Amino acid sequence: MEAVTTLKCATADNANPISSTASIWQDVLAQAVTGELIAVLNYTSLAEICEDPDEVADALEHAESERGHAAAFTAEGGKLGIVVPNNVNAKYWKRLRTAFLRQIDARGFIGCLIIQEVMLESFAVASYKRVGQVAPGSLGNTFAAIAAEEEDHIDHAMAILRAERALDVQRFDDKVYALHIEVMTILAQMFAREDADGHCELCHGSCVKQSLPVVGLTSSELRGVALQHYLRTLDMLGLPGELTLVWVAQLPV
Amino acid sequence: MPIPIDFALIAHQESWRAAADVLAVLRGPYLAPIPDDDLKEIFPWFPPRAVCHIDHRSVLGHSVHGIYIDSFIPPDRLAHKYRHENIERVRDAAACAIKAGARIVSLGGFSSILIEGDSDLLPEKGETVFTTGNTLTVAFVVKGIKKICALQGRDMGEATLLIVGATGDVGSGCARCLAPLVKRVVLNARSIDRLRSLAEELSAGGKAVDIATDLQQLSVQADIVICVASLESPSLLLGRLGPNAIICDAGYPKNLSPVDVLEDCTVFFGGLGQSLGGMSFEPDVHRVLHRHPFPNVGQGCVMEGMVLALEGRFEPFSQGRGFITPERVQEIEAIAARHGIHLAPLYNAQGPLEEVACETEGSADERQIAAPGRAV
Ligand SMILES: NC(=O)c1ccc[n+]([C@@H]2O[C@H](COP(=O)([O-])OP(=O)(O)OC[C@H]3O[C@@H](n4cnc5c(N)ncnc54)[C@H](OP(=O)(O)O)[C@@H]3O)[C@@H](O)[C@H]2O)c1
Ligand SMILES: [Fe+2]
Repeated sequence: MEAVTTLKCATADNANPISSTASIWQDVLAQAVTGELIAVLNYTSLAEICEDPDEVADALEHAESERGHAAAFTAEGGKLGIVVPNNVNAKYWKRLRTAFLRQIDARGFIGCLIIQEVMLESFAVASYKRVGQVAPGSLGNTFAAIAAEEEDHIDHAMAILRAERALDVQRFDDKVYALHIEVMTILAQMFAREDADGHCELCHGSCVKQSLPVVGLTSSELRGVALQHYLRTLDMLGLPGELTLVWVAQLPV
Repeated sequence: MPIPIDFALIAHQESWRAAADVLAVLRGPYLAPIPDDDLKEIFPWFPPRAVCHIDHRSVLGHSVHGIYIDSFIPPDRLAHKYRHENIERVRDAAACAIKAGARIVSLGGFSSILIEGDSDLLPEKGETVFTTGNTLTVAFVVKGIKKICALQGRDMGEATLLIVGATGDVGSGCARCLAPLVKRVVLNARSIDRLRSLAEELSAGGKAVDIATDLQQLSVQADIVICVASLESPSLLLGRLGPNAIICDAGYPKNLSPVDVLEDCTVFFGGLGQSLGGMSFEPDVHRVLHRHPFPNVGQGCVMEGMVLALEGRFEPFSQGRGFITPERVQEIEAIAARHGIHLAPLYNAQGPLEEVACETEGSADERQIAAPGRAV
């Protein structure tokens, strides 16, 4: 009898904080699912410009894995009793996808890797990790597990990028800088304290950023961890730290 | 080919104003400064890294090249409770210096904790050597005291010297250098045991030494005070000061609060050196990092690494806590002087204390005549 009572209480207690915060998790999950779907599109496009069959297979495998992440996040929403919307045409995500497609049009395999693996993944991994630390139960576990998976598959891309940089350091760094201006500016605006251009077209009500403290997150911390992860990733590629510091310092806030 | 790095300086910003100024330089002249709220949100997340390159010229003609690495410790998180995260940051900064191939590294401010304490917290260091730089700081504190006493015609032999933070690395070094020159020494810190053992050492030389854990309980009046306590916030109430006392504040953050009313006292910021050969910074954060009313001025601890690099002595000159002797102080002072690095002109929060024409090679545009602050 005792055990049953305890179990009932535990279920009710656990359900409560989640339901009261469900609308916040809905917006957080909507961003995550949309980001994963953008990754699916990006890797699928990448497969189309790869010449090496191994690279084609690799890109398609990544696309599949990102689709799995989107499904896992959607399922987490289901467990909370919410439908997780997604919108790859939402303002910032569309601009990010367009930047990626410009590299596809130019058949810029390296540019694609820089955007997807260095820039978008930095923001995904860092923010998923942080969400994973505060989100309750299986929601938190899913964020943490996907962060770990994303981190795992970055190694291969990093090896390719390091080899590319070794061929011509200046040219490589210039390319990263050009993409930084294009892509990181969008990500910085997306993670800024306020949306300068109005609604993000994904949150279901007003911007979720202001409500994040209710679930133990802050938009400032998410921006901080993401920029830190990005700088560390650039360090791993061998770009000079004093240079990338200036790049990040010059991003919009 | 990357430029060889002779020296690296590791330090952190003392105030949010200073942090904002560093970022403003990095953002360049065309971007608006980052609003304060955003600055406080972003700055603490920067991983330690080089902020600028420095060329330091010796008056002998040669120069050395180095980098300034900021550990990005948030200025409001220097307190003891953040110790662990700050040690991590400084370790990261040290790893950065090692990766850059720096031959000698000066650890400014909180950073010296890496090699001051009981345990060596440094990462695997290869060829790179580390110095706290505190011996040169002591040299400049001591010189500053002697200079101001001379300027004011004060007889040091009749003076009572109070050292706040006496058992620290800088404090104990100052005590050893100055005890033989004054009439009486008063040592202040919180831990009584360490005070006792330093007092024992100094009184073995025949000097009258008092110890105090509470300045308010002190029965003697101090004529000369050296403040070198590692306080979390600048507020130190000096209870017992003699008439016209001389106070050298060499702590960071400053041990004396700007609101402390010190009637009839002469206060100066100690431990600072000036390079006659000059330094150049790229990007130009010199005025931001060295916020002094004179050009080419820096803290002794930071200057020590540059001095040793100019001398070609890549050795851990200052290590551990409490080992600074008058002989070592003389030695580093002589090396510094050989390369044109001397005690900086004295100043305090109100401005310069001396009228000085600052002419340094390679910095003609920075020549300035310092307006006198308070007469000495
Ligand atoms: N001008 C420069 O170039 C320069 C260079 C290096 C260092 N510094 C500054 O000098 C100061 C000391 O550096 P350090 O390396 O000698 O540090 P340290 O070895 O840690 O010594 C700190 C001293 O302050 C004492 N202390 C701490 N809190 C105190 C309090 N509330 N009241 C009285 N004493 C207190 C400590 O003893 P208890 O813990 O027993 O109280 C110890 O004696 C720091 O502020 C540092 O930033 C300046
Ligand atoms: Fe993913």
